[in-house]
Amino acid sequence: MRPRDRDAAYWLVALASPAALVLLWDALSRFGLVDPLLLPPPGAIAAALRDVIVDGYAGVGVLTHMGVSLYRVAAAFLAAVVVGVTIGLMRGVHSKVDAAFLIPFEVVRPIPPLAFISLFILWFGIGEVSKILIIFYSAMLIVALNAQAGVAACPQDKIRAARSLGASRWQAFWRVILPAALPQTMVGLRVALATALSILVAAELLGGDRGLGFVISDASTFFKTNDVFVGIILIGAIGFLADRGLAWLGRRYVHWEGRS
Amino acid sequence: MTAAAILEGPVTAGVSIRPLLEIDGVSHVYRSALGTETTALDGVSLSVARGEFVCLLGPSGCGKTTLLNMIAGFVTPSSGRITVDGETVRGPSPSRGVVFQDYSLFPWLTAGQNVAFGPRMAGQGPAARRQTARELLALVGLPDAADRYPAELSGGMKQRVAIARALATDPAVLLMDEPFAALDAMTRAALQRQLLAIHEARSKTVLFVTHNIAEAITLGDRVVVLSPHPGRVAADVTVDLPRPRRRTAPGFNALYAHLADAIGAETTE
Repeated sequence: MRPRDRDAAYWLVALASPAALVLLWDALSRFGLVDPLLLPPPGAIAAALRDVIVDGYAGVGVLTHMGVSLYRVAAAFLAAVVVGVTIGLMRGVHSKVDAAFLIPFEVVRPIPPLAFISLFILWFGIGEVSKILIIFYSAMLIVALNAQAGVAACPQDKIRAARSLGASRWQAFWRVILPAALPQTMVGLRVALATALSILVAAELLGGDRGLGFVISDASTFFKTNDVFVGIILIGAIGFLADRGLAWLGRRYVHWEGRS
Repeated sequence: MTAAAILEGPVTAGVSIRPLLEIDGVSHVYRSALGTETTALDGVSLSVARGEFVCLLGPSGCGKTTLLNMIAGFVTPSSGRITVDGETVRGPSPSRGVVFQDYSLFPWLTAGQNVAFGPRMAGQGPAARRQTARELLALVGLPDAADRYPAELSGGMKQRVAIARALATDPAVLLMDEPFAALDAMTRAALQRQLLAIHEARSKTVLFVTHNIAEAITLGDRVVVLSPHPGRVAADVTVDLPRPRRRTAPGFNALYAHLADAIGAETTE
């Protein structure tokens, strides 16, 4: 469905369906149909969210928890973008580079990154390094794959056009192959960011005393289901805002996407 | 050099002695993954004089695009030699402008920036290359399109931008690979007229690939027919009909029948 087909009735349904879900959820706990310890009513979760924002969790302010999580994911994601885009572009334009990375990447790509997490903790300890490295590793593979696919999507005639207009190989790379690869690369960044956030939570569940993953894991240990939901809401908000940010960057700098 | 200088450049009356483009015994052999060899072009020789408009006519698979790609420097001949202005072709060069069937514009650049791409690669400053782009867009009939992106232009407009872009480096020869094949009949006729006007105004040498017999007769000073499997020169016909050439003009149909015969009976209408 195209955006211009979305009229008032469309938005009415779009807003009514989540409202109905929240009402159903509220009714379930209000009439005692589910144990509030397992599924607290929406109002209790809202109150817990307010308490965590005001008082923090486990003696640590909410901004610290969010900041620690953001730092881990941002450091790993930015490094993954730099390394992944570089490797992906080089594999895309140079067959020897492609050959060098082919088997290592194809061997590790089907392995879920979380399978490595115990190994990373064994090698780098329970601290920041193993968390950031496991996020970096999983995001980098996705970024590299999409950057390479972006290069492959550049039509040969566009490169030939540039070369016949006097562009050197380097200029053709910089002014034609790179912009042609941008749309697919941006898709890769968004997928990698979503993956980075899920790996973040998993990594934080395993240890430490800071971060939103810690909040979720600690709260569940003590059956503070309200706070489990608070942690989920906060990580969801970070994911939503980051994805919107990347989508905005995409529209701003890849304005030709899907059009030729 | 500004577009004005290009436009008003020396117009040599007639044709100089030495050909601008010489193709000497050029063959091209493809090797498939299984090792079988296919000869796409077999000993093609052809020369094109400065200022001449030559159409390469042939059915699909006759190697006409391969020949154009070798002149452009995109593909290396398996044997034989191609020279332009006495220099052997060893790779792409701004002295050989190329117009592609699918336009191949850069969608991230405006029409003006697309036209200015060549001058930019040549190190021309921003003001000079904007001026070049403005003048060439006006030449192809798009004086107001400079700030529009390719996605905002029709197919015919895109191809006119692509022609302006190829002219911006003032190439010695314009190589055109079925440039109007994807356009509707009306747009195609308009662009044919405009291309002839540009060719005459600037005495630009043009090598124009087409599989359309009427188009070849309408445009060319000469029509070179390539036959397929393997690609060989089957006929080289001078078109001495006065321009503009209409299908109803005397001589058009006789030439059409002659070229259709040369291509082979299976491709005639």
